[in-house]
Amino acid sequence: MEIVRELENSKGLLLAVLVVTMACAMVVIAYGVDPVAPGVHDAFHDFRHTLGMPCH
Amino acid sequence: MFGTFKNGVTSGVLAGLLWGWVSMLVNSISGAFPFEHTILYNLVVFSAGGIIFGLITGGFLTLLGGRLPFNSVLPKAVLISTSFWLVLRLGGLGLAMTEPERYHPDIPQTAQGLVLAVALGVILSFFWKKDPAINPR
Repeated sequence: MEIVRELENSKGLLLAVLVVTMACAMVVIAYGVDPVAPGVHDAFHDFRHTLGMPCH
Repeated sequence: MFGTFKNGVTSGVLAGLLWGWVSMLVNSISGAFPFEHTILYNLVVFSAGGIIFGLITGGFLTLLGGRLPFNSVLPKAVLISTSFWLVLRLGGLGLAMTEPERYHPDIPQTAQGLVLAVALGVILSFFWKKDPAINPR
């Protein structure tokens, strides 16, 4: 696929993709920010606690 | 880059999937946090979360592995996985300070999380070495 070839050849693009993925993972999984994405707090609740991320 | 993007993502996804299941098992044994959802639900969630975390770790290992001052892939993978976890944990600390009624840190869970972060690096290094594109027989 074209996108895979582009990522293979571009460190900058790979870094950008990883940073965006990491930001999404932080919002959705690590912190469960409900105001940003409703429902994510409960969705990954047990996973978040297992990893040691603070939660109520 | 340390290996190719495709190999890094493949190794990361496989390692993350296995790590998600290991995390479920470790938490069940340690009792650091009693699960609130069913086993089947958590199996799906831990698989998805593990895949995403493994993908991120594998991607950063591909990107940064060549620059790290280690010869073997094991310390590189462990350093990247624990650094990623530490970044998340420090962000959580910031959230706990700004919204203490919403975010409560827990020491046993934090300790378990650190151990699991190291485990992700170890599992990723195992899959990294097994990748035939990186280590052809």
